[in-house]
Amino acid sequence: MTALGTPIQGVTLYSFTRAFHGREYDLEGLIRKTAADGFGPGLEIIGFSSFRGFPAIDDAYAGWFRDLIDEVGLVTTSLAVNADIGIHRDRLLNQDELIEYMTLQIKAAAKLGFPIARVQISIEPDSMEALAPIAEAHGVTLALEVHADQYASHPRILALRDRYEKVGSPFLGFTMDWGATVSGFAPSLIEAYRRRGASEELLGQVVDLWNTYYEQGPPADQADHGQRFGSFIGLAARHGRPDLGIDFGINGTGLFGPARVDDWRTIAPWIKHVHGKFFGIDENGEEPSVPVRDLVKLLVENGYNGAISSEYEGWHWNYWQSPFDIIAGEQAVQRSAAGAAGSRMITDLAEARTQLGAWLPNTEGAHA
Amino acid sequence: MIPDRIIEQGTLRTDGPRAAVEVRLPWYRALPGSCIAGAELTIDGKTAPAESLRWEMNGAEFTFDELRTNIDEWWFPTDSAVLSGDLDIEPDAEHEVTVGLTLYIPYIIISDTETLHIDEKNTKTMKAVAA
Repeated sequence: MTALGTPIQGVTLYSFTRAFHGREYDLEGLIRKTAADGFGPGLEIIGFSSFRGFPAIDDAYAGWFRDLIDEVGLVTTSLAVNADIGIHRDRLLNQDELIEYMTLQIKAAAKLGFPIARVQISIEPDSMEALAPIAEAHGVTLALEVHADQYASHPRILALRDRYEKVGSPFLGFTMDWGATVSGFAPSLIEAYRRRGASEELLGQVVDLWNTYYEQGPPADQADHGQRFGSFIGLAARHGRPDLGIDFGINGTGLFGPARVDDWRTIAPWIKHVHGKFFGIDENGEEPSVPVRDLVKLLVENGYNGAISSEYEGWHWNYWQSPFDIIAGEQAVQRSAAGAAGSRMITDLAEARTQLGAWLPNTEGAHA
Repeated sequence: MIPDRIIEQGTLRTDGPRAAVEVRLPWYRALPGSCIAGAELTIDGKTAPAESLRWEMNGAEFTFDELRTNIDEWWFPTDSAVLSGDLDIEPDAEHEVTVGLTLYIPYIIISDTETLHIDEKNTKTMKAVAA
């Protein structure tokens, strides 16, 4: 039997996008607040959001950043990087250009002290295979994010898993994003539509439509996905609110993925990092639309010892509640769930550092 | 994404035949010039001619044609850019300003040849200040 896992508590600064973009906190201020409010010890950052000039990172800046992390007592977990395949307006990057583009970001991760680089679905199996030795050389694990509208047993994810198995590099894995396994249309988003004047009748039908897709499970293929997207647009149009249609479609299909929690078992051994995606905390202190307790239980039972970055996505629409309070609320649910599963979350810095070091592969001579 | 933040309140300037306003990125991560595909500047219902539009960021001014191929200059999420165009408006008076932006999101590929683009729009009313 697998020993129970003790996931490391953490947060991604993406949760605080509204505060950073609104210039309420700069990067240093957010890092200090993350440490002071106990949202760590794990810290995840999006390179292109937080570091000016990314992926170019000079030595002085990297030194400043590492010293700051040490001073405040956090542990860097994942640097979220992007495969900007469409950076040229007239064409997509070819394979060689993509490898070069990603290599710069892998180097930046190593330089800043992140042992993981989160990559995204646009990177295909051939590219992941080509990147494996580069990741290894820099001591950075590549964890490709499984995000709605994909899910663990999606053919594209299975193709990656099968390639990982063939390549056999411990530096290739997945980031599990809880948004793929959501159990309801987020009530806080319904509230945001209400504030935009949507009728109760329309809102009721949005929830019903999403629930229908939840019963059916994830879309069978892109055509099915497109059909669902279109049905949200049609619903809004029929109620005289065509302005809300695309928003319904994007959120109803791209944020709230309808796969079941057990689907994650398909790729469980390859999960190296987790985005604890969620949308809000209700008056009972629970996440009403993401099965956080079941997800934490699954990770614990699978012996997961990596980090969970709490990833609050409700900031897009929720301008009336503090993201900091909401993160604290979700992390309390995670800790309670880990306890209920007979384990615990790691919140101690020294324990987190030791455990993360043992969880991820190392490269001798590389600075990870 | 956060389109209500596009126009910076109180930044409308007029300089003879031209008007300018500061704008913020309606996205969470930096985008290069090549992804800033187009803009529209409308004041009191009059839209600036497209060829008169200029985009200033990181201390340099660009036409939208120049931005098309620029992957060296990036629009950082906390920086203001300046959108200007040919519009003759009254200084010291209130104006209704609308800015539309078309941005490409370079990591979201929606077909073998196509990258996702978003169109965002914001309207605010503010007083113009003479440059």
